[in-house]
Amino acid sequence: MPKLSLEPLFCHFVIFLFHCLKTHFISERTVTTMELYCLEADTIVRARPDPNLLCDDRVLQSLLTIEERFLPQCSYFKCVQKDIQPFMRRMVATWMLEVCEEQKCEEEVFPLAMNYLDRFLAVVPTRKCNLQLLGAVCMFLASKLKETRPLTAEKLCIYTDNSIRPHELLEWELVVLGKLKWNLAAVTPNDFIEHIVKKLPLPEDKLDLIRKHVQTFIALCATDFNFAMYPPSMIATGSVGAAICGLQLNSTDHSLWGDSLMELLAKITNTEVDVLKACQEQIERVLVSSLQEGRRLQHKQQQQDQGGPHSKTLDGQDQSSTPTDVRDVNL
Amino acid sequence: MCIHMAVHRQILESLGNGTACRNLFGPVDREQLQVEYKDALQKDIEDASRRWGFDFVLEKPLEGGDFQWEGVSGACMPALYHACAVGDMSWQREVESTAVTTCGAEPRLGQSAGGKENVPRSPERHISSLEKTPEKTHMPKRKQTNITDFYQAKRRIVATPRKSGQ
Repeated sequence: MPKLSLEPLFCHFVIFLFHCLKTHFISERTVTTMELYCLEADTIVRARPDPNLLCDDRVLQSLLTIEERFLPQCSYFKCVQKDIQPFMRRMVATWMLEVCEEQKCEEEVFPLAMNYLDRFLAVVPTRKCNLQLLGAVCMFLASKLKETRPLTAEKLCIYTDNSIRPHELLEWELVVLGKLKWNLAAVTPNDFIEHIVKKLPLPEDKLDLIRKHVQTFIALCATDFNFAMYPPSMIATGSVGAAICGLQLNSTDHSLWGDSLMELLAKITNTEVDVLKACQEQIERVLVSSLQEGRRLQHKQQQQDQGGPHSKTLDGQDQSSTPTDVRDVNL
Repeated sequence: MCIHMAVHRQILESLGNGTACRNLFGPVDREQLQVEYKDALQKDIEDASRRWGFDFVLEKPLEGGDFQWEGVSGACMPALYHACAVGDMSWQREVESTAVTTCGAEPRLGQSAGGKENVPRSPERHISSLEKTPEKTHMPKRKQTNITDFYQAKRRIVATPRKSGQ
């Protein structure tokens, strides 16, 4: 009898188990806390950052080892898709980001959903009229994996202006799960943020701001197909670099920063300095063009508003193809 | 219908200013979508059949597969592996009727005891408590499991510092 290789299955099971344990851990803690505080029903239950995971270098090394497994198999606009174009991916990504922001989803939900979307599109030729359904399914799955109170099918259908129905969402959920081989616990750039930030000599009072900028850069990268094939660690490292430069934290102490920032970052995630530099520059370019697009649309919006109330019906189409947060970032 | 509308309204009210609520690529072709869905599922089943050498529709092993299949009594399996919808206890009847071999059958010759070690087992008490669930009429729904069914809630005195916290 041939021997069945259980290794990949086993890995996924371990990851799955980890998530179960995490959930149980959270729940157990809630039970403990409830006796003391009686939490309100609306409170979002979150586990605290676990130093056992974040301060252990083996976790970072494991993330770096397995991250490639969750990348899309090919650049699908060239080899798989016929009906859909890169600009359509951007449209659906922008819509997904808006839904996630409006629903105040956890930060990693959007990048994870985009990972599912890219992996599905890399294997299944999809028609453009089903792309929004796919986007909704991916958010549905990512939200279930990452949130204590996930998005509901009904809510997501309303966000498509009722162009899809809940039972269709549930049916396609099964199809997408099959194509992803049920490997949902993908590594995202967000998984690296704490590991990277912890290793940099950054001012304590700026950490929250840096995290927020990094998350915005990561979301921005997820909307742009050029980053879809990059390893998550590289996107995370480039985003941290871009955030630090953008906030001009590197100009205060030249001996610590400058080129040494790049070298330090590259060392943390085993990336080459040149590649990392290119990645960061690419992120900054995407930011600039998205800021310009944002201004252009804002300007257009103002003109429309001045033009009278009749023009209002048209603005939904591709309004704000940039996340609102990004517009607040000063370079 | 009324409930549906009420839920609808409730959700809509929580949807902020509503600009994110939009149809991006025009109407969906429902019939075509249904066809594609069925095709995709069919293909999934075929792939799985090839991969595992098992016909999942007829529930029979295929000739020449990589694996040797052996029937196991449904009653031996943890409840997790039984098809069941929430609040539906019908799997109990199915289990009894589809059991292939008796529970506790000895492993076949040549099959190491380790052959089954990757089958997760729930602690005995869970199986028995689920399988001995009494009359359906009294319990239309399965009781919601609480985390405290598995773990004891521990009390911590507030002043005690955490061991593993910062």
